[in-house]
Amino acid sequence: MRVLAVEDEPDLLGSLLKALREDGYAVDGAPDGEDGLYKAESYDYDAIVLDIMLPGIDGWELLRRLRKTKKTPVLMLTARDAVRDRVRGLDTGADDYLVKPFELVELLARLRALIRRSASQAQARLEIGSVAIDTAARTVTRDGEVVTLTAREYALLEFLALHRGKVVTRTTLYEHLFDETDDTLSNLLDVHVSNIRKKLGHDFITTRRGHGYSIE
Amino acid sequence: MIFHSIRWRLQAWHGLILVVVLTGFGFTAYHVARDNQLRRIDQDLDQRLMAIFRPQPPDRPPDRPPDWQHGGHGQRGGFPPNEPRNEHGFGSPDFLRHIREAVQQGGALDPSQTNIYYYVMWQQDGSILAHSPGAPEDVSAPEHPGPQALKARNAFGKTTPPEGGPPMPPAARSRGQLRELFRFGPLGDCVLVGRSMSPDLTAMRRLALWLIAAGATVLLLGLAGGWWVATRAIRPIEAISATAVKIAGGDLAQRINAADTDSELDRLAGVLNSTFARLEAAFAQQAQFTSDASHELRTPVAVILSQTQIALSRQRPSAEYREALEACERAAKRMRNLTESLLQLARLDAGQEAMKRELFDLSRIVRECVDMVRPLAAERGIKIQCDVPSLEGLGDAGRIGQVITNLLTNAIHFNRDQGEVRLSARGESDAVFLAVADTGQGIPAEDIPHLFQRFYRVEKSRSRIQGRNGLGLAICKAIIDAHGGNFEVSSQPGAGSTFTVKLPLR
Repeated sequence: MRVLAVEDEPDLLGSLLKALREDGYAVDGAPDGEDGLYKAESYDYDAIVLDIMLPGIDGWELLRRLRKTKKTPVLMLTARDAVRDRVRGLDTGADDYLVKPFELVELLARLRALIRRSASQAQARLEIGSVAIDTAARTVTRDGEVVTLTAREYALLEFLALHRGKVVTRTTLYEHLFDETDDTLSNLLDVHVSNIRKKLGHDFITTRRGHGYSIE
Repeated sequence: MIFHSIRWRLQAWHGLILVVVLTGFGFTAYHVARDNQLRRIDQDLDQRLMAIFRPQPPDRPPDRPPDWQHGGHGQRGGFPPNEPRNEHGFGSPDFLRHIREAVQQGGALDPSQTNIYYYVMWQQDGSILAHSPGAPEDVSAPEHPGPQALKARNAFGKTTPPEGGPPMPPAARSRGQLRELFRFGPLGDCVLVGRSMSPDLTAMRRLALWLIAAGATVLLLGLAGGWWVATRAIRPIEAISATAVKIAGGDLAQRINAADTDSELDRLAGVLNSTFARLEAAFAQQAQFTSDASHELRTPVAVILSQTQIALSRQRPSAEYREALEACERAAKRMRNLTESLLQLARLDAGQEAMKRELFDLSRIVRECVDMVRPLAAERGIKIQCDVPSLEGLGDAGRIGQVITNLLTNAIHFNRDQGEVRLSARGESDAVFLAVADTGQGIPAEDIPHLFQRFYRVEKSRSRIQGRNGLGLAICKAIIDAHGGNFEVSSQPGAGSTFTVKLPLR
């Protein structure tokens, strides 16, 4: 999952990026509205965390312009909790709303829910055959036994599981699993896929040669 | 209580006045009518009385009614006016006979049961000389009042007796339902003519009933009209109070509709509306201020909360803890800065900030401030030109220094790199003026009126720079206001802005 955080307070942006990264997301950060809008329009993020009070283009304007082209789920952050502001945010196209100061666990939970909903999944638990994925706890079990995956392997598995039945191209996978800070060496998709196959069974992930991967 | 309402009180007073006026009018009308009626009766009786003094000649045809029954003046008969008839008084045998005949004739000629008239004659000694058949038995001889009093009691208010009449004027009296008129002859003999007033009294009673009925109708109409007028008069007041109630209920956007008010209340409505508008603006400003203040405080709180939560979420190398603590320290400093500014503003607002009032050397204060900000200016290659002559200012030197420092940091902050800040001052008889000019981008004209508003920021992009919380100019204005001075701002887009402080010397 790749997430964009747009926040002008450097210390807050720093902790947001760190928390998201440690939760297994590929994260990009933007310190102002213009950079945020540019990135939001350039990549297909799985979700955007957007502060309202931004220098340059503010959160409202960014959201309004973004909604002309993209349906990326947006979680708005604001220091104002007036009902009017919340209503305006939701009406402008925000998908959720969080008032500063917020609890990190709540932010992460809301973000998971947003991503799940945009993939048309209502539950936090995904079951594929004998394999169960708990997206809240970020754990995978096979026949009731816990399977240990690296963060990257888990992210790859979760992305494919959320898009179950669809062929996901390598480009899409690169875009959603790695952020701009990742070095190319870690982008070895095939290694990750083969590791997951070793742990969950060879047929769990199907390779469509020339197209990409999918979970049936 | 509804009966304490203005409308009820108006109605009560209105009703009371109406009752008094109508009662007075009714009484007056009744008495005037009654007096008129009595006067008519008296005139009628007097005509009959006079007829007795001019009785019919004995050879008068018996089918002709005596004059007095018609109230005539005896023009058709009777003695000629110049004929002396009573030179010996009523008692003269000729005259008495004459009278008796007339009376008998009159009585004989008027036997009708409807005749309400009667008469009685007395001699000087009080013995009844003659009376009509219908005369009441209890009629007594009037007392001779003496010539002076008779003159005063003249029933017609005239002193001259009617032509051919007896020398004494008539007098009237009422006995129960009877009205009697009498005249004394010159010798003290007396003729009395009376009648029952019962038909007249019945008519008067009817008149009284009519007056009461009409009065009651007018009173009811008047009360209804009064109620209507009071309702109309009170409607604008009710509109005003209804609006005030809504405003008291929290809907500050309510206004009194000027169409609901009359011209007298227009001014009141106008004054109230402008008061409401000021109130609403003050409330909105207060709400905006609270919202802005909490907004400014929430961001550093969010930093502290998220930094600590992430730092504590797992074991970390000490460098990461250090980073988190440094971020927390920055946030805490920002909060301290903001809370101190808010506290100072609150004190200035409440007038609690003690302001010294002493003469100080303005140029010295300016120099100190310039020295303080020089490193900040040097960072961006900005030159500070100080052209302040030795001038005396009056007030709190420390706070004026705070204002100057704030203006200088703004002038550096919003300047271009390698720009310039110019300080100049001049003194007048009653004030000193200090100007701080920069060579920055200038301030858009539409922003200038809002510059001193709390948390107002022209350049949103510079909003989060450390140490700038959006309250600096608001505090400057509060300090200068407390000194009785003011600010003037002029700006040329692209060329720079000038802030001028006027500090009065008294």
